[in-house]
Amino acid sequence: MTDNFDKTLDECIDRINRGESLESCLAHYPEYVEQLEPLLQAMLQTKETYSFAPSASAKRVARQRFDAALESLEQRRREKQPLFTRVFARPLAWTTAAVVLLILVAGFFGLRPWLYPVGPLPNPEGNFVFLISDDVNAIGDFESLNVSISKIGLLPSGDTDRWVEFDPEVNEVDLTLVPGDKTQEIWRGDVPEGQYTKVFIHVTGVHGILKETGETVEVKLPSQKLQISKTFQVTTDMVTSFTYDLTVVAAGSPQSGIKYILKPQVGQSSADHKPNKGKAKDKQP
Amino acid sequence: MGAESNRKTETRRFNEARLASLYDEYYGKIAHYAFVRIGNRTEAEDIAGEVFLKALESLESYKERGIPMQAWLFRIAHNLVVDHLRKMAKHKIVPIDTVQVEADADPVTLTDKKIELERMTGAMEQLTPEQREVLRLRFFGGLTSKEAGSILNKSDGAVREMQRAAVEKLRRLLVTDY
Repeated sequence: MTDNFDKTLDECIDRINRGESLESCLAHYPEYVEQLEPLLQAMLQTKETYSFAPSASAKRVARQRFDAALESLEQRRREKQPLFTRVFARPLAWTTAAVVLLILVAGFFGLRPWLYPVGPLPNPEGNFVFLISDDVNAIGDFESLNVSISKIGLLPSGDTDRWVEFDPEVNEVDLTLVPGDKTQEIWRGDVPEGQYTKVFIHVTGVHGILKETGETVEVKLPSQKLQISKTFQVTTDMVTSFTYDLTVVAAGSPQSGIKYILKPQVGQSSADHKPNKGKAKDKQP
Repeated sequence: MGAESNRKTETRRFNEARLASLYDEYYGKIAHYAFVRIGNRTEAEDIAGEVFLKALESLESYKERGIPMQAWLFRIAHNLVVDHLRKMAKHKIVPIDTVQVEADADPVTLTDKKIELERMTGAMEQLTPEQREVLRLRFFGGLTSKEAGSILNKSDGAVREMQRAAVEKLRRLLVTDY
């Protein structure tokens, strides 16, 4: 019994840390309201008393120092390599030469359409997986909440407009089925390795049905293109799983009318990495 | 040998990228955690920046199967805070208040805040050191109980139990008139 309550209190603390309101949290655990409320009030009081946010300038300066330290490390690594390796081991040099050769050959044999694919293609043994999850807020109000996604985009580091774009294999996700740690895979394939700094999904529609009334309700979007800034790495020897977290929040009151808004959750979106068993080195055909 | 060295370099680069990706989300949380412990905004911001630099230096010692990287950052933060507090004690630098209150145009609000702060700090001091640390990691660091447990070498269940006991005690102390 105590263990159940400990877990419930723990879950509520997680919810409040994620930005959920006290009322919303208590509504999920009606059997524990009397015990939970005073403890969560104490938590909120503690957070309020010790409220703090670092200054933007301090954060920026610290980030500059960190980036400088990273750059310095990379520079030292480059200097340790022999000249031959520095020049000829760069993937970019070989890739450029290979691309030029391929274009010449393609031009001769008229294979141009095959060289310029629309974007990355699905591949069950790919190095990148895109998942959707729901960060729990007002999802409990819904019987179903279907989000239609027509496109996914990743922005490589250093680029401002050359996105890596692809169409999801699964283009509709019911967020009521993926709360918290649950996820739905909507694409798997190969994307170019490197560092990425932004991700977008293009949402073409949101269809929500309320649990209590069975009514279809409008769920607003800040924009059809939901973009977040998140830095992550993709390599060929690891499978990068990127979870794009969405959340639906309720605004307003029963008197004035509750409105629902779907928005991305940057803080909960993240990349995970596992070894890519399908791409072991020195694999012989 | 060359292949092994390349692999180590790639793993290192990979971990560096992961560390960089945690910066935006965790700099603020780490600074908050440090602020609650040392009470000085500027020092807390410096410590938060220092955590990421130390993490970059010590990446070779970070092992994936140990604790999650974000929890590992808090372990570094804890050590830096302890060092800081030790230096302060050594040089007999005593802060006027345990935690600084931001300057406010309204002196009444400022006084209320200081009183509340003293009351809250007094209540926190009556918790055990482990209970205080659990609350700091959970409330200000935003870590899950599993992540907090990996820092404190406790199971999830033990952390949840400590957490409940700590919040219950805090609640009792805050409602008591003293």
